Amino acid sequence: MAQIITKTLLQAEDLSKAFTTPEGKPFTVLEGINLELREGEIVALLGRSGSGKSTLLRCLSGLLRPSAGQVRYRGQAVRGPMPGMALVFQSFALFPWLSVQQNVELGLEAMGIPAPERRRRALQAIDLIGLDGFEKAFPKELSGGMRQRVGFARALVTEPEVLFMDEPFSALDVLTAETLRSELLELWGSGRVPIQSILLVTHNIEEAVLLADRILVLSANPGRIRAEVAVTLPHPREREDPAFQELVEEVYRILTTRPTLERATPEPLTLGHRLPKAPVGALTGLLERVAEGPDYGKEDLPRLAEEMRLEVDDLFPLLDAAELLGLAVLQEGDVRLTPEGQRFAQADLEGRKRILARLLLQVPLVGHIHRVLHTRPTGRAPEERFLRELEDYMSTEDAEGVLATAIDWGRYAELFEYDYNAGVLYKNEETPSPTP
Amino acid sequence: MRRVFPSPEALRPRAPFSRWDLVVIPGVLVLMALLTLALRGATEPFGPTSPDLTVSLDPAHLPYYGLRTLLRMLVALLLSLLFTFVYATIAAKVPRTERVLIPILDFLQSLPILGFLTATTAIFLGMFRGDLFGLEAASIFAIFTSQVWNMTFSFYASLRTVPKELQEASAMLRLSPWQRFWKLEVPFALPNLVWNAMMSVSGGWFFVVASETINVVGRDQPQYLPGVGSYIALAIQRADTHAMIYAGVTLFLLVLLYDQLFFRPVVAWAEKFKFEGSESSDTAQSWVLTILQRARLSGRIARLPQPLWEWLWLRSARRDRPGEALEAYFRGDSRVAPPKLRVRAPLADLLFNLGVALGSLTLLGVLLGYLFGPGLGFEGGRTLKPNPNLNADLSPEVAKRFAALGIHPGADGTVWLSQVCAATGGGKGLGGDLKALLGELGVQAPADLASSCQGPLVPAGKVSWPEVPEVLKYGLFTALRVTFFVLLVTLIWLPIGVYVGLQPRLTQWAQPLAQFGAAFPANLLFPLFVVVISRLQLNPEIWVSPLMVLGGQWYILFNVIAGTVAIPNDLKEAARMYGLRGWKLWRRLILPAIFPAFVTGGITATGGSWNASIVAEVVQWGNTVLVATGLGAYIARWSTGEFNPHVGLGMLVMGLWVLAYNRLIWRRLYRLAEERYRLD
Repeated sequence: MAQIITKTLLQAEDLSKAFTTPEGKPFTVLEGINLELREGEIVALLGRSGSGKSTLLRCLSGLLRPSAGQVRYRGQAVRGPMPGMALVFQSFALFPWLSVQQNVELGLEAMGIPAPERRRRALQAIDLIGLDGFEKAFPKELSGGMRQRVGFARALVTEPEVLFMDEPFSALDVLTAETLRSELLELWGSGRVPIQSILLVTHNIEEAVLLADRILVLSANPGRIRAEVAVTLPHPREREDPAFQELVEEVYRILTTRPTLERATPEPLTLGHRLPKAPVGALTGLLERVAEGPDYGKEDLPRLAEEMRLEVDDLFPLLDAAELLGLAVLQEGDVRLTPEGQRFAQADLEGRKRILARLLLQVPLVGHIHRVLHTRPTGRAPEERFLRELEDYMSTEDAEGVLATAIDWGRYAELFEYDYNAGVLYKNEETPSPTP
Repeated sequence: MRRVFPSPEALRPRAPFSRWDLVVIPGVLVLMALLTLALRGATEPFGPTSPDLTVSLDPAHLPYYGLRTLLRMLVALLLSLLFTFVYATIAAKVPRTERVLIPILDFLQSLPILGFLTATTAIFLGMFRGDLFGLEAASIFAIFTSQVWNMTFSFYASLRTVPKELQEASAMLRLSPWQRFWKLEVPFALPNLVWNAMMSVSGGWFFVVASETINVVGRDQPQYLPGVGSYIALAIQRADTHAMIYAGVTLFLLVLLYDQLFFRPVVAWAEKFKFEGSESSDTAQSWVLTILQRARLSGRIARLPQPLWEWLWLRSARRDRPGEALEAYFRGDSRVAPPKLRVRAPLADLLFNLGVALGSLTLLGVLLGYLFGPGLGFEGGRTLKPNPNLNADLSPEVAKRFAALGIHPGADGTVWLSQVCAATGGGKGLGGDLKALLGELGVQAPADLASSCQGPLVPAGKVSWPEVPEVLKYGLFTALRVTFFVLLVTLIWLPIGVYVGLQPRLTQWAQPLAQFGAAFPANLLFPLFVVVISRLQLNPEIWVSPLMVLGGQWYILFNVIAGTVAIPNDLKEAARMYGLRGWKLWRRLILPAIFPAFVTGGITATGGSWNASIVAEVVQWGNTVLVATGLGAYIARWSTGEFNPHVGLGMLVMGLWVLAYNRLIWRRLYRLAEERYRLD
């Protein structure tokens, strides 16, 4: 294949981003990111929740300043949103008090374009995106799909070279999302818009394979680029195409495989382990489904995701939790129940609680809480006590999330109880007993 | 594909006017004529030689007086808006300033409004010498202070809570700060700001009545600015029942007009700025707004400033310059602080804190010096003794008689104990005339003049230390009254409000009535109480107190109604399914569900009561004057037309009491409501 020299539009060099907690402690979200966005390509950023993919997009677009390293746009250092950049938001981010046309004109106002010219270009963009007739409508009158069209029109009207998209289809229903995706590809292919390159953040693996020329997979905590998958299938791509499905499988494999470095020395769990946000109910449902599935305790992840309508952000916390507790293992894009997991799936409610209680005591944080409550004469401890300890490992907000998960699990397993109003954890009066 | 026509509108035949203009065009003309008339009256000359300002009790003058009062309200509102935009924006955007500006605002908010009237009259008279506008300005300023703090807080809070995605969108679109302010921040803040302004103006009616009659130093009579408030004051002075009824009707009509012609349309218009995903069902309606939106003329008037806006827009546009990055925020946090010029500068921080500390210390020194005089009320290690004003009612007659005896009263009619002591050689050489004068009603001379004169006295007009605990005690009395009566009206209105709120048909009627009741100035009803109390020989210490909550009680009522209406239907149905009834229903559903709304109403009601105490602890009808011991009465007694250390002390103490009261009681309840009883 002939080597085509393409120009680099956007470039991140050794980019890191750390936030500071209210207590003044820094915690790293992104670390050592190097990437390039070249002319004529669509790049998808894919990762589990907490991988900092949205933060990366905001650093690249100039909305946030990186803590270290830098971003260059056409060779210029990016210090804020640059002319020639546009962003489409997950939540549309339309101004509810402005009509469709006024929303679209907004970006032109910032460019200092006089009113008649603004109007002409706005109407053209509205026309292009299939919104004619709705110029005077207000966003609240429109359906989600129409609102996102306004979001696209607002981005396109400024004639950007780089289009950033932050999960642009995830707030839409399946059909609308599909239509918008294909229209976007059509626009992209038709050359009617001056966009040179698109950077898409998504947690939908199929969407990434459907749209992108390259998929960058991020690892979490802190976010690093773990792998790059090139997608060379011609457009329009078919989901049923075996090559397409093979790519989806590959991405799942990457996401379920731990980086080699970490696998070499199996990481011992610490108190500061970030417990995945997995509600017990959903976890139970997932395990039941895998146990009862056609392969009896083994399931292909793409199929599971498709069937349970779970996207990466929802599915992976559940899988992580199952693996953490020793109920399942992830391998090569498959999930397989352990014997413990099988027992759990088949047990009745009390049995499940007993199994979970035993497994949970192996989780450092839950075990720690349990121990503290049982050593204290009052059998009570304020939640702040545990939050303080967690904050040595992570931000306040993450600590709250992790503690909430621990409390949810611990309550289900009847290891301890929690008084929401007082913010106090206390020992369970009676230990779980078999059903009478 | 190119369009042939820019939009379908180009095809539609354009009539310059619609039939709605038949209403709007005359309306605009009348409005302009009225404005001219009122403005001409407000700028008449007024100097030291002008005759005393007074009003006529002839009801034929009432429409004109009403017009003048309305104009004052309007100007005060515009000024409040201006102040809000500037002050809140600085506090929210300029680094470090909020640490100073917000506590200041909090304290100013707790100061009694009528205290400001006393404090600023002299300043405004000096600023607009020889012009009636000085007095007008003093009156407007008092109304301004009754509205502005609330609005500023509301705008500040909105600026701090602009949704993250809209901030990101405007940063990404590279809006300039000016464009962001008008396209994002102001529209986002508008619904809350309008609602707050409406509530504040409701309270403003109460103070308009109290602030149009102004004591001016050097004049024996108070000055009655042409207005409904002055009319009422004079009617009370003369005990004219008919005039009171006329005034009541006028105020009723004014409040109604203001509501229908001004605030309803604005509230209905502000609905479109509500930041909600979907359309809510109970949107405010206004027939005036409908007419204005259908008429063509109003559209044209609204478009008049367009070229100016456009010019400002283009001037401020960033063009090719990159936009600003946002300040770092936490993941998952849906609200972020607005972008600030956050430069890590420990030195600047240190200097700023040092400056603030120095500034507050200096201010404290100046304040103490002003209150207590040189030596801060001490001399040679001893506290100085009180030096009261003997002419407590500031009666010009008494002042004249003192003057005849060689003791010269101050410009405001004050006769200090120290003066009498000096004239009588330490209180021993009392002449017969003076003895008679000191024994008279209205002259508050100490029983044992000689012993009161012993020892060094505080300089004339200054406060002595023994007075401070005294004033704190007055504050306690007022606090007890406020607490007791707010509790009492809660007991009365809570069940009624819940009953009304549970019946949709009643709610439709009761809600506007309660809002109207809040706007209708309660001072009009004060004379009724005076007559009843003095007829029945009741103890004024107790029976004057209900006057304080007369205006505030409505806030409790309509908040309770609103809270009850907002109880989700499924909760009500669930309660019915499980057979919750009687006290159980109240304890388990109704009380927790309306608690947040009740707290909001209670805060407003208590704030209003504190403010009303200045008017409500000293009430008058003709020659009957009823006084209750309390902080309000203390401030009212010392409001001599000039700001003096005693008024200063009274305001300070009231400010501290209100702050403490809010911190200790309301803030806790509010937090409880926020954390536990929110229905969402």
